[in-house]
Amino acid sequence: MNTKANKPPKVADVLIIGAGASGSIAAKHLSENGFSVVCLEQGGHVDTSEFWGNKPEWELMSQKRWHPNPNVRDLATDYPIDTSESDVNPLMYSAVGGSTILYAAHWQRFMPSDFRVKTMDGVADDWPFTYEDLEPFYDQMDIEMGVSALNGDPAYPAGKAAPLPPLPIGKIGMQAAEGMNKLGWHWWPAPNAIPSKPYRGRNQCVRWGTCLTGCPEGAKASFDHTHWPDSLKNGTFLITGARVKEVTLDAEGLANGAVYIDRNGRERHQKASIVIVCANGIGTPRLLLLSESGSHPNGLANSSGLVGKNLMMHPYAAVTGYFDEPLESWLGPSGQTIQSMEFYETDASRGFVRGAKWQVMPSGGPLGMRSAYGGKPLDEAWGANLHRNTKKVFGRAFEWGIIAEDLPDEANRVILDPTLCDSDGIPAPKLIYKNSDNTKKMIDFHLERAKEAMVAAGATDISATPLMRDCGWHLMGTARMGTDPERTVVNEYGRTHDVPNLFIYDGSVFVTSSGFNPTGTISAIALRAVKNLIENRSTQKVAA
Amino acid sequence: MSTMTKQRRATFAGIADVLIPAEEGMPAATQVDVHKDMLDHVLSLRPDLADDIWRGLDAAEGKPPQEAAANLNTTDAAALSAIGLAASAGYYMTPKVRELIGYPGQQSRPDSNPDAEPEYVTNGMLQKVIERGAVYRPTPQKL
Repeated sequence: MNTKANKPPKVADVLIIGAGASGSIAAKHLSENGFSVVCLEQGGHVDTSEFWGNKPEWELMSQKRWHPNPNVRDLATDYPIDTSESDVNPLMYSAVGGSTILYAAHWQRFMPSDFRVKTMDGVADDWPFTYEDLEPFYDQMDIEMGVSALNGDPAYPAGKAAPLPPLPIGKIGMQAAEGMNKLGWHWWPAPNAIPSKPYRGRNQCVRWGTCLTGCPEGAKASFDHTHWPDSLKNGTFLITGARVKEVTLDAEGLANGAVYIDRNGRERHQKASIVIVCANGIGTPRLLLLSESGSHPNGLANSSGLVGKNLMMHPYAAVTGYFDEPLESWLGPSGQTIQSMEFYETDASRGFVRGAKWQVMPSGGPLGMRSAYGGKPLDEAWGANLHRNTKKVFGRAFEWGIIAEDLPDEANRVILDPTLCDSDGIPAPKLIYKNSDNTKKMIDFHLERAKEAMVAAGATDISATPLMRDCGWHLMGTARMGTDPERTVVNEYGRTHDVPNLFIYDGSVFVTSSGFNPTGTISAIALRAVKNLIENRSTQKVAA
Repeated sequence: MSTMTKQRRATFAGIADVLIPAEEGMPAATQVDVHKDMLDHVLSLRPDLADDIWRGLDAAEGKPPQEAAANLNTTDAAALSAIGLAASAGYYMTPKVRELIGYPGQQSRPDSNPDAEPEYVTNGMLQKVIERGAVYRPTPQKL
């Protein structure tokens, strides 16, 4: 809760819905520029001591309490998601800091062509700005987060160095890099929003390797650490346990607040002059669709009919290599050690467009590896083979993970489920999502190349995972940005075309998905948008 | 009944030793006591496993452990999966097993000199990447 005032302002200058990456950035910058800000977050605060990464029970707890799939975790703060018609399960976390509580902190920039997909490759659409337009905001976010990276990656135009040196790539990174050099393929020590040295009150990464289940060191740059302390000092009023059910409008059709349910089950209305929705690529369209009214019969800000459509979730595949020598492959960061964009750009001869980013990550402890054996014959998964597999794999394996660009398709969408509700009785989202032929061809190609990379690195055995189901970390595209109100939902600064004081800052606004982890780009876009709002405050339309 | 009983613990021990036998130089599950306090510890942390475990153990009661495990694998995979998770989680948490597989647990091992030039720079590995040149396509900078 807020540290300065006991009650939120009756009418806030700005109401932010969601305290994840984009909401945190908006709250911090608006509050330090004199706006009164209220933020509604359905989750609570997570204390570093709640994480298990520095305890023997870590892997056991990772499979339930700290699982990234809300349907598995099944906490009261989560909302259920109907995935019966989806090839991929969405992953997220509801808390102050949002899904960055459980993200791997791969702090990537998109490459220049990602913003010009239509121009370069004749598919999807171009973004309403370029890489160069976004670059200063990438630079600033590197500083706000404390990014550890090595400047000079030939996958990008020359630019400013990150504030911290790169994290160690470890034995697994060195092994993978040697293979890539044998093939003459691109690799580079990977950027992470994890401090290689103490940074702005956060500890240096000590390499627990448990970033995906929460950092017990308090080192990883999750937004509860990087932005909320300043925001609260600036006077932002943060209300946790607040489940928003509707964005409300005044008689002029301007957004004037939101109705939420508190943890005592009371329905409340927070008024505001401006509303910014930052509830992620599923939560945001869900809320807009829930906010239908006589003037917005298909959902708020949905005159284009595109709210909820073009859902992109990044299909993920992996190739695991097994090595004779011990590689300490449980050691962090996790995080990523090295990355490759050798096959990122389009090559028409491959039979598909666009490409994928690869990254090397540690493989964790002995129990996690067991999850791959579910449903196999008893003797194959257990008995003497359990011991043989553990000896072969544990500490001696790493994977090349492949994040494939997911092109927008209106058939892939978020709708309101007709029967499923959250614990407050609010309709839950349902996903309808299928992998495309382009994706399947892309994955097939990349898996073959990754196998070659593993052989070159000296792997004695290899296994491939074509498409993981629990891979929907990256939720994008469901309220896309652009200049044409008939084909997009928001403009380049996140302002909805239909409601001039209603904004969206999260990954919903992405035009295309790229093949990169999106939080760095979500953050840069949110920063660009909120700075524009601050600069234009005098002319911004607001609710009375 | 949704609590631990002597019978259930004995059934669990039998199935755990089928799943995790004394082979390949490794101890069996019960040789590191996964069926004793460790099982209670696992269940206290993961009460969500209990229903599946109790159901599986009750169905297996009185059967030879190998047959019971094989039956569960075909008739109630969720139950066997829960029993297997409880057994293997306990097993891999024990210090003796960790020592045998060379796992010290997740470690705090910070880089002692993060400003030092990394090995891949000093040995020239990265220079080869730089010399291979750009791997991105330049785009028109302005719309």
